[in-house]
Amino acid sequence: MAIVAGGVATPIGLDLDAFWSGLLAGADGLSTIERFPTADLRVGRGGEIKKLPPVALGIRSRAAALLVAAAADLGGRARLDAAPERIAVVAGTALGGVEELEHALAGDGGARRALDALYDSPAHALAAWLGARGPVLTVSSACASGAIALGLGADLLREGAADLVVAGGYDILCRFVMRGFDALRSLARDRVRPFDRRRTGLLLGEAAGLVLLARERDARGPRLGRLLGHGSASDASHIAAPDAQGRGLEAAIRAALAAGDVDVADLDFVSAHGTGTVLNDRIETAVLRRVLGARAGAVPVNSIKGALGHTMGAAATLEAIMCLLAARDGWIPPTVGYEEPDPACDLDYVAGVCRAVRPRRMLSTSLGFGGCNAALVLEGAA
Amino acid sequence: MTAGARVEAVGLLTGWGEGTAVLPPDARAAAAGRAVIPLERPALDGDRFRRATRECLLGVVAVEAMLRDAGIDREAIRGAGTAVVFVTAAAYGASNAEWLAGQAGTLHFPYTAPSVLPGEVAIEFGLRGPYVILIGGPTATVDALWQAGRLVAGGQCERALVLAVETFGECEALWRRARWTLPGPMVESAGCALLGRGDTLPAYRAAAAPTPLERVVEARAGRTLACAPLVALAFAREGGGRPALVSGTWRGRTATIELAIAGRAARV
Repeated sequence: MAIVAGGVATPIGLDLDAFWSGLLAGADGLSTIERFPTADLRVGRGGEIKKLPPVALGIRSRAAALLVAAAADLGGRARLDAAPERIAVVAGTALGGVEELEHALAGDGGARRALDALYDSPAHALAAWLGARGPVLTVSSACASGAIALGLGADLLREGAADLVVAGGYDILCRFVMRGFDALRSLARDRVRPFDRRRTGLLLGEAAGLVLLARERDARGPRLGRLLGHGSASDASHIAAPDAQGRGLEAAIRAALAAGDVDVADLDFVSAHGTGTVLNDRIETAVLRRVLGARAGAVPVNSIKGALGHTMGAAATLEAIMCLLAARDGWIPPTVGYEEPDPACDLDYVAGVCRAVRPRRMLSTSLGFGGCNAALVLEGAA
Repeated sequence: MTAGARVEAVGLLTGWGEGTAVLPPDARAAAAGRAVIPLERPALDGDRFRRATRECLLGVVAVEAMLRDAGIDREAIRGAGTAVVFVTAAAYGASNAEWLAGQAGTLHFPYTAPSVLPGEVAIEFGLRGPYVILIGGPTATVDALWQAGRLVAGGQCERALVLAVETFGECEALWRRARWTLPGPMVESAGCALLGRGDTLPAYRAAAAPTPLERVVEARAGRTLACAPLVALAFAREGGGRPALVSGTWRGRTATIELAIAGRAARV
């Protein structure tokens, strides 16, 4: 499936160009959270978007506002050139409209606010804003949602259920989720350091990322690249921690490679989930080492969560877009925060500054609560 | 044999009881003014379930009901050959409300994620195959059946569970403010369909008209949201092996899917 274009709203840039230049420059989008109180939390930093673009102002739901901001960016790069009923929306999220739920449970507002509290409301708000009247799907596979959303979007096209699909992910930074990760003591006290020996945890971020998917034969003009394959698998081991052997992640990667008919020897780059937690990065490294085999030390790997924070439902989509931009421009962004190697994390992490490599075929990995694992295999535009 | 998929079993629990035989002829009349017909927290033993929410346990018992319908034990579905596709419109509301109220302990937080319900089911039954979680009402369940059929027919797994759970009691006052709860009653429910390999591809239409069966399901079961298409499949399975056209309508979109059904004799 062709990935025609992408659009984003992130803490390091409110459009694709700013996002990309920020990643290449090693920008740090993490800051003191200002939108809600954090004084009672151990950690009050995150990847907060300080000011929404004008197109998103006035939209009550922040989740919907982020999606609209990303869609406006996407709309500036590609036209939705299909009948409205043939345009589908597939949005991934870990949190849906949870902030609206909080307001609604507090008795704020009437029927409209109660409806907005449903996790599928932001996707429907996006579809209404786009004028898309085809299928609207909401994926909530925790922090793997943004990958599975792209996969289901591609499946809708293969099925002939739509001619264009706007697919991606989003999540907002809100007190609900900050309080949760703070209580679990999963948050880093200083900075996010994926795969670094001194890593102590993640920091959360908010963002939206969307791509326009079309069948190859229908995609006109320039494009970002292709989604070759996608796969998912359940860990069936723990609700909040990854499987100790990473069996689910390995199964998802192998399924994505098989679906794309891509040999592991053809992979040029891996965009890792790389949250910066002790457990995730060690397990993910071990899985990638098994999958990549003899090439494990030769394939560049990065994580962009040091720059953005963990943007949850948006993360995998942003990482997929990053892969395609790397293929377009011949630069792989650095793993912000990675400085000191960890013997347990011994892959070729892109560190310090961006690396002059033009990957062609790429793997992106994602994990999430509930034992969710997903992988995407992508190819840059020729 | 052509690569395809078929429904091999359906487990169903609603506030009315287990299966379709217990459904009243007219849910609104049977509700007698009650807005929510509740499902009790299943009494499952084991230390592993001490933190699990009511919704998680309902997912587990829905799978057990499906296994009884299929006449197989849990070992038959264990492993990487079984996919899970989970759907709900509202079952995360209770856990989120509890977290927001500030009463829950630290380890409750992961349970606020919709993915933890199927996660608990996957752990309980050892399901390690493809894994998709959709949020939405009946239309999303039709989408889930389509996705499960694709996974089975495409050889990415040997079988797939389509699991749906809906609970309303803890957020009753909230949900009653929304028009999608009308006409009531809202009936708490949990359903699980087992899809295995068959010789016909499921026929999915992302935009279609509601089927008569959809109206029958709502009239007899009440508002079961994501569980409604699984109630329809349970009816179809009782009907004895003919292909079933199942629809789901939500937020103005109706999707349909035609699925082959492995029949069994109607219960006396």
